[in-house]
Parts: sequence; structure tokens; C-alpha cells
Amino acid sequence: MLDQSKIDKITSDLLRHIRLNNKFVLWMGFLGISFVVCLYAYTLQLKEGLSVTGLGDYVSWGMYIANFVFFVATSLIGMLISAVLGLSGAKWASPLARIAEIIALAFAAVAGLVIVSDMGHPERLLNVFMYGRLQSPIVWDVTVVSIYVVISALLLYLPLIPDMKICYDKLDKVPKFQRNIYKILSLNWNGSLEQQRIIKQSTRILAILIIPVALAIHTVTSWLFAATSRVGWDSSIFGPYFVTGAFVSGTAAVIIAMYIYRKNYRLEDYITELHFDKMGKLLVLVSLVYLYFNLNEFMVPGYKMKKFDATHLNDLFAGSHAAMFWAVQILGLVLPILLLLFRKMRKPGPMMIIALFVIVGAWFKRYIIVVPTMEHPYLPIQNVPINFKIYSPTITETLITIAPIILVLIIITVLSKLVPIIPIQETIEHLEEETK
Amino acid sequence: MFKKYNYLKFSISFLLIALFFLNTNAQKQRWDVPADKKAKNSYIKFDNASSKDGEAIYTKNCLSCHGNPGKGNSMKTLKPIPPDLYSSLTQELTDGELFYIISVGRLVMPAFKDILSEEDRWKLISYVRSGNKKYVQVLSKTDPNKSKLVKIKLDFDSLTNKIKVIANAAEKTGIIPLKDAEVSLFAKRYFGKLQIEKTIRTNSEGIVIFNFPKDLPGDKAGLVDLSVKINDEVYGEIEFQNKLKVGIPTDKPSLTEKRAIWNVLKKAPIWLIITYTSLVFLVGFVLLFIVKNLMKLRKLGNN
Repeated sequence: MLDQSKIDKITSDLLRHIRLNNKFVLWMGFLGISFVVCLYAYTLQLKEGLSVTGLGDYVSWGMYIANFVFFVATSLIGMLISAVLGLSGAKWASPLARIAEIIALAFAAVAGLVIVSDMGHPERLLNVFMYGRLQSPIVWDVTVVSIYVVISALLLYLPLIPDMKICYDKLDKVPKFQRNIYKILSLNWNGSLEQQRIIKQSTRILAILIIPVALAIHTVTSWLFAATSRVGWDSSIFGPYFVTGAFVSGTAAVIIAMYIYRKNYRLEDYITELHFDKMGKLLVLVSLVYLYFNLNEFMVPGYKMKKFDATHLNDLFAGSHAAMFWAVQILGLVLPILLLLFRKMRKPGPMMIIALFVIVGAWFKRYIIVVPTMEHPYLPIQNVPINFKIYSPTITETLITIAPIILVLIIITVLSKLVPIIPIQETIEHLEEETK
Repeated sequence: MFKKYNYLKFSISFLLIALFFLNTNAQKQRWDVPADKKAKNSYIKFDNASSKDGEAIYTKNCLSCHGNPGKGNSMKTLKPIPPDLYSSLTQELTDGELFYIISVGRLVMPAFKDILSEEDRWKLISYVRSGNKKYVQVLSKTDPNKSKLVKIKLDFDSLTNKIKVIANAAEKTGIIPLKDAEVSLFAKRYFGKLQIEKTIRTNSEGIVIFNFPKDLPGDKAGLVDLSVKINDEVYGEIEFQNKLKVGIPTDKPSLTEKRAIWNVLKKAPIWLIITYTSLVFLVGFVLLFIVKNLMKLRKLGNN
């Protein structure tokens, strides 16, 4: 049996970050002000319409859609860590499950807002429900993303129930209403065997359910592109190409979050170098699979160079998008794989930097998927000014694109000040199992 | 030797220069308008009303390349650059020249003869002239009402698959055939009119004969919407429409008749409706089960 002092230490360690401090206020202030600036840009768009963006008749999908794809992609990590690794019995991943779920929930919930920004006026969202066709991947996407948000929230909440009880018991310095919330959310938890069984069963069911749903959200997102007959999108491997790419950006996001939590909340005993080592290997694995799909996606049409594909591919390989294309492939994919093969690179510090490159590369990869294709339609663009043919995002548009990223950071920051980001009950249980 | 070489050089340069001039001359000739066309005038009075109609036609057909007249915002990427229509280059031309250019087009400019009626083309010129204060209109003496005297008849010979167009004018003095008038025959299709053969001039009896294709699809009964357009020096422009049984009877169901992936929501494929709703219900049931589980959990804690 584990002695009480050890349990107390774990509890106090893992609850330590649930308090307000200057660092938090400063960071939230920074996020808040940045968010307000971006919101101002959005009010400009509400007033003037989408003409404040670089979008037009020909390139009608730009940064907003690239951003949306990036958000949906990153949110997929919840499924990989808490479901796939959890169900396959990879115990090392369980302390990271909550971080992954928080990232998944934040990104998936905000993804919907990103789409609303692309619609111009937000009330146009209603048109999806009033006039949407069941045959359209857009309706499928709205359906599966909503379902994914609900399941992710539940997968975050269920393992949290015992911890809510601990929060209620131990955190006597927090405001009363906060304690009351803990009390309500703990659902009268008393740790009885029957209650434990219910939690285990429900979590397991959700973990199984989230796998097809998560695959569906990103496959359907890829179908938004692949279901149209356009160069660069007309591909039968777009589903798996998107899903594997999603794991890359999601894993990188978790690594970044791990590093920041570990540093700021002094969680070195709980997020250890072993976790970084394992996550580094996971990143290599998913990146290699993604690289393989990239090879297929560009090699096969690149070998044939069909007339219209050729215009598109030449633009990517050696034309106006070449710098971004090669930077994304090399700095965001090939180099990280090579570097992470070395054990020294799988230490927290170097991995943080590599993960940053990967996640920035992942964002620009979505840009490379969305924008160049829009610039290369089958019917030639004739008799229009040059800025109709070539997309260049405006400052207002950039700010509106940054807004959801800030919102995600706000959600993650607030959540990590309200709930223990490492599951307390589970950590104690694991230790008990080990000492047995 | 040296001299010979110089001579060669000279002759080549000369040839090149000559070719250059020949080439520009060839281009210039395409800009030339036949004298009779040049002297043609409008039978429509250029006033505010006609100019306003003309502006609407301009916005639809001309603005994208020529830009707003007087603003100099024409499409600079085209070669040659379409002129600003308030510029002196355009305003120095006669009404007849403008009418001719609009009708037959030149270089990159398309012909509008079959797109705009004669009346519309004159209204367009009225709009283009509205920016020129020095311009004084010379009205044509042709009477636009004269075109109403023209009677057109269409005959189809199913043996030879030929369509005979007979154009006569019912003057007070008697029936006069339209001689040497331009006749074009069109069949109405989904997206506009399909010209049958070329534009042909009538003979002295006011008759032209078109070879009609044998494989043109018609409606269920084989009827095809035909339209004849006649351009005559005296009687002006006349349009005539008629439905004749000249096509192959075709009865294809519309693509939007049956349930299909491209159809409206009400006509969604059954398999899709079943798949979608059953998946949504399945997930819904699982989620309800989880909620029920959570309620049970809460109740257990109460005891």
C-alpha cells in the first residue's frame, strides 16, 4: 500500500498550478489585448464584408480555410493519445491524456468559429441548417465536427470526475463559487467500486467511439477538397493524407504544451524525459507515415505531369510557391525526422524547438494545400486584374486568422488554471499498482 | 568580297523593313471600313433615353474590356489595349464605322452582330457619343418601320434536308423580293444559338437555301426552334422565329429528375439518407447511454 505522505505529495504537486499568479495575469492580459485587436479586425470585416480580405472570385478559399484545416488536424491528437495509445495499453501516455484532450477540445471547438469567419456575415451559418444538402461533404463536416467536440469534452470530463472531488476537498483557498463548481462536477464521487466501474466502462466506450469519429472529421474535411475536380485536390489518398498529417501537427502541439507545463508548473517528476523520448519517437513515426503519403501525393502526378497538374506542380516545385513548399517539406518534415532519430534531440529543450518548426510547418502545409490549387483552375482566368489571379492575404485577414489561435491559447490557459492537467487519481492508482 | 557582304546585309535589312511595312499595312487594312458602311447612320435618335439604354448594354457587354468611358481603366493586359471610348481615337470615327466595328469585331474584339440587335448596337453608340459635346448626329433616312413590311417564310424539304428561306416585302406597289440581303439561320440550343452553315446572301428572288444537318437533336417531337436573321440595305434588320420538325426526336430524362448525389435535398439518394441518419442515431444512442451512466454515478454517490 502507498503511504499517505506520498499521496499527499502527488496531490499537492499536481494541484499547485491551480491558483492565480502574476505570470498568469500577465499572460492572460497579453492574450486578451491581442484578442481585442483581432476582434477589431473582425468588426471591419463585418462592416465592409469579405472585400477586406485578399479573397475573390477565383481564390475564394484562402487563409481562413487553411486555418480551419489546421485546427481540425491538430484536434485529432486527442483521439491518438487517449484512445489509440490508451486502448493499446501504452501506460506511459496516460499522464499526457488530459493535455491531449484539452488541446483536442480547444482546437475542435474553435474550428467551427474559423469557418464562420470565412462566411463573412456570421448569420450565414444558419444557411447550412436551412438549405444544407445531405449530399454535401460540408453538412457531413458540420455533423462530425460537432459530434467530435461533444465526445472530446466527455473524454476530458469523465476521467476528471475523481479529480474534481480532490479539487473540492483540497483547494480550500479558491473562491467559493469555484469550489461549488468542483462539487457539482464531481457528481457525488466517493470512489466506490461501482462508481469506478461506471467511469471505466464509459471512458472505454467513448475511447472506442472517438476513433471512427476522429477519422471521420479529418477524412470528411479532406473530402471538402477531394470531392471537387481540381488539380492538387482530385486525389484518392486525400483522406489518409490528411489524417496522418493531422497526427504530425497534433503530436507537435502536445510536445509544446508538455514543455511549457513542465517548465511553468514544475512537473518534472510527472512529465519526465521518458515522456519526451516516447513522444519524440511517436513524432518520428507519424511524420514518416506522413512523408510516405507526401511522396505519393506529389510523386505520382509529378511523374505523369498531366497538362493541368503540370502547371500546378511546377508552381509548387519551382514557381511562386516553391519557397514555402520546400521549407514546409524540409524544415517541417524531413529535418525533424532526421534530427529526432538521435537520442540527444529527444530531450525537452531541443524537442520543443523541433516541435515549433513542425507545427509552423504544419500550418503552412495547409496553406500550400488550399491556396495554389485555387490559383490553378481548369478554365483559364481571363481578362481580370492580376490581384484576382494571385492571392495575397491582407493584414485584416491575417489578424482575423490569428484570432482563433489566440482563442485556443486562452481556452487552454484557463482550463489549466481550473483543472489539474495531470490526472491525480490515475497517477496515484498507477503508483499503487507498481508498489503492489 | 567585303562589298558583296555589305550588299547582302543591306538587302536583308531592306527586306525586313519592307516586310514590316507590309505587315502593318495588312493590319491597317483590317481596320478599314467599307465606304458604304462608313456612311451608314442611325435611325434611332441619340438622346438621354437611348443613351441610358445603351449604358446598360455597355455594362453587360463592353465594360469588362473597355472600362468606364473617360476613366481610362480599360483592360491593359490585352493586346492591343482596348481604347477608352470617350477618347478622340474613337470619337473621330463615324457612326457607321463604330457600327461596323461593333458588328464584325476586329483583332481581339468579338463580333456582336449575332449577340446584339441592330437597335441595341445603335443605342450603344448613342451612349458612347453621350460623352462628346461636339458631336452632332446625322439621322438616317431609312424608316425603321420598313422592316415590318418584310414577310419571311421557312420551308423544309425532308428529302434533301434543306431549308429554304423566302424573304419578300409587301409594298403598296406589290410584293418585292429582298435581293442580296444577308441571311443567317440559327437553331436554338441550351446555351444560345447555333448558326447553321454560314451567312448567305439572297438571290434575285429573295431566296436562300441552307443545308440543314441530319443529326441535330430536337425535342420529343423533333421540333427545333429556328430563327432567321436578315440584314437588308433598304429594310434593315429583321428577325423571324419558327418551330420546324427538322431535328431528331429526343427524349432524355432531365439529370435532376431522379434521386442523385447532385440533386436537391428532397431528392437525396436513399442509401445516403439511411447511412447518414443511422450513423447519427448510433452516435446519439451511445452518448445518451453515457449520460445515463453519469446520472447513475451521481445517484450512487448519494447513498
